[in-house]
Amino acid sequence: MTYNNRQSCGPLVSVLISTYNRPGYVREAVASILRQTYPNFEIILVRDGGTPVGDIAGEFGDERLIFIDRDQNRGLPYSFNEALSRAKGMYVTYLGDDDIYYPNHIDVLVDALQSWDEYGVAYSDLYKVNCRVTEDGRRIVLSKNVEISRDFSRMTMLRFNHTLHVSLMHERELLERAGGYNEELNVLMDWDLTRKLVFYTDFLHVPKITGEFYAPVPVDEEQTSYSTPQGDCDRISVKRREDTNDFIRNMLTIRSTRPPKPWPKVEDMSLILLTERLDEATEEVLRDIWSHTFYPCQIYLPLPQEDLSRLRTVVPNIMGVPVSAGASETQRVDTALECCEGDYVAIVPRDFEVGREDMPWIESALQPLMNCDDPNQAFELPASSRQCWAAVFRREQLRRARRLGGHLALAESVAAAGIKLRKPAVEEYPLQFDNLMTGAEEIEKQGDWARAVEVFEYLARNYQNELWMKTRWANALYHAGQYEHAARIVGEVNSKRPTVSTLLMEARAQRKKEDFWGAVDLLEKAKQILEGSELAWTL
Amino acid sequence: MDIVKETKIPEAGWTQHYDVLRELGHCYTSVGEYEKARECYDKAAVLAPDEAAPYIGFGVIAMQTGELADAETAFKVARRLDPECSKAYCGLAMICQQRADAAVAFDLYLKSLELDSDNLTALLGLFQSSCAMGSFSKVIYYLQVYLDEHPGDITVMFCLATLQLKDKQPQKAKELLLNVLALDANNTDAANLLEEVEHTLAQECRS
Repeated sequence: MTYNNRQSCGPLVSVLISTYNRPGYVREAVASILRQTYPNFEIILVRDGGTPVGDIAGEFGDERLIFIDRDQNRGLPYSFNEALSRAKGMYVTYLGDDDIYYPNHIDVLVDALQSWDEYGVAYSDLYKVNCRVTEDGRRIVLSKNVEISRDFSRMTMLRFNHTLHVSLMHERELLERAGGYNEELNVLMDWDLTRKLVFYTDFLHVPKITGEFYAPVPVDEEQTSYSTPQGDCDRISVKRREDTNDFIRNMLTIRSTRPPKPWPKVEDMSLILLTERLDEATEEVLRDIWSHTFYPCQIYLPLPQEDLSRLRTVVPNIMGVPVSAGASETQRVDTALECCEGDYVAIVPRDFEVGREDMPWIESALQPLMNCDDPNQAFELPASSRQCWAAVFRREQLRRARRLGGHLALAESVAAAGIKLRKPAVEEYPLQFDNLMTGAEEIEKQGDWARAVEVFEYLARNYQNELWMKTRWANALYHAGQYEHAARIVGEVNSKRPTVSTLLMEARAQRKKEDFWGAVDLLEKAKQILEGSELAWTL
Repeated sequence: MDIVKETKIPEAGWTQHYDVLRELGHCYTSVGEYEKARECYDKAAVLAPDEAAPYIGFGVIAMQTGELADAETAFKVARRLDPECSKAYCGLAMICQQRADAAVAFDLYLKSLELDSDNLTALLGLFQSSCAMGSFSKVIYYLQVYLDEHPGDITVMFCLATLQLKDKQPQKAKELLLNVLALDANNTDAANLLEEVEHTLAQECRS
């Protein structure tokens, strides 16, 4: 799609950019927005304290640039909320103050959202640029890699972020519905955004490269070998993660966030925790549930009022359900079940070992239930036992069972209602792709390239993320000595979306076949990408 | 930019830009585009001033264009940057060989092979210089090591058979040449040498 003038243009896009002490780079960032082929945008530039940049904002002389000048440093979430309050665009997108868009960025994402109106969010891919910064601030490019290029997966996004903030474009209305940015967070604020948005819409992945974000490599005087650089990049967000407690606090805050309902894209889960009294063990299991559950849920705690009034936990999303002292287990379940709002209901006894294994605990039973068409099927949790029985049901399914067999014990009423219970098979667990990837990478580490070829071929044929998986498959083929096959597979990737690393890989395979001119063509393309940015190559 | 989990992609190290330039330099050298190769190596050397590979590239180009003094300088720089660089010793050995200094060339080839027994250029250079000097035992050892790693390499099998014949081991040479001909029945060099070996064996029988 090409827009020749603003009169025939598409919807208004608000580009939000917050800057703090990076006057040298923010000029380039803003300039890259102004070079967009899509003309109908506004830029809201917020100075979040730090070095003045008013002169830079002024020198562009472009009426589309709105400048918010603030002396106090309040952080990104505050700045973006401030910018959003001024934004008028139908869509919102972001740019880091030291990053750049390619000229097609807005065009690609608007085109995607306009073409597929069931999506409220679209995201592209970006190069991560590792660079060495010279004393005068120039950035010398060491590498450009597409490190994040995953197709959308809601369950994955609930567990961790798989998109880049700068690559996102979303409907402004969606974020307003979600309540904006959480100003209590100081890291992972972009995951907070994307996790909240998945409650309302699907995301569309456009596997095109539309910009670059920079990761300066620290100068390490101890570093003696160029080929084995030490240390990590010095981005503020990376540095902040070094405080583990703070990182966990942010992560748990995000995971337990329940944005305003209705949720058109996420079904709620209610978890009934069965305990006879409020004691330290109960409080501990509540904390375990909080730290190990990534699927959104509300915890129902059926206890006598006397116990509930003593509840002082920091765990969020707990709903106390008053029951009479001495109420039986089924009475507690029935009372809580009446209050449950979730589409799914999990029954978990206090002594259940939450998060015993390093895998999703409750989600391993929930996902198979969500994927199951049989209305009479429910699932036990993998660690459930006769002595410590835990299961997930559809709410209406369980309510029906209790209506029919209210005089029976819980498990008997479920059976009497014809509900079949089983534990999920391993292949039904969520995040299968990530599990297989972990296994494949272990195989790679062991140097078993023939086996790695098989696994990556399987992943490429049976899961999403085609370009990524084919790249890994081709890499395994190359190391297994299958140069011809490697060249063909990575050639398929390059015909759709060449990157520096895939071009280099195909060139190496061509060179092995002694096709030097073929390799030259590919390497010249890689070189052009590496030297393409005016910021990048100044030698 | 907060991301919990990153997509791992191969060939994605921080040396990528350097790698592209170095590989491009190698490819341009292979097709005889020496000026373009030099440009690539120049940039690679600026990006990674401590790496020996661009200087090996400069040295190879200078060798190809007959500028032996420049080649020597480049290989010496490479050796200074990386004292374990097999290719630097190999390059210096080739220069000595071209200057008909077989003894020094032999030692440098040996050093190169000590650092990388897989270096075929050094192996063949060692073979040539040993032929010139009439000293075979060390080169036979390295040829055998190489063949253990690369069974079926006809070029090396032929060299080894030649040396075995010169080292008065005609029976071993015969076995090796028969293997060469089993792999490549049209190899006339091997067939001719086998004829010579059989003649030697026949003479030994008569004596």
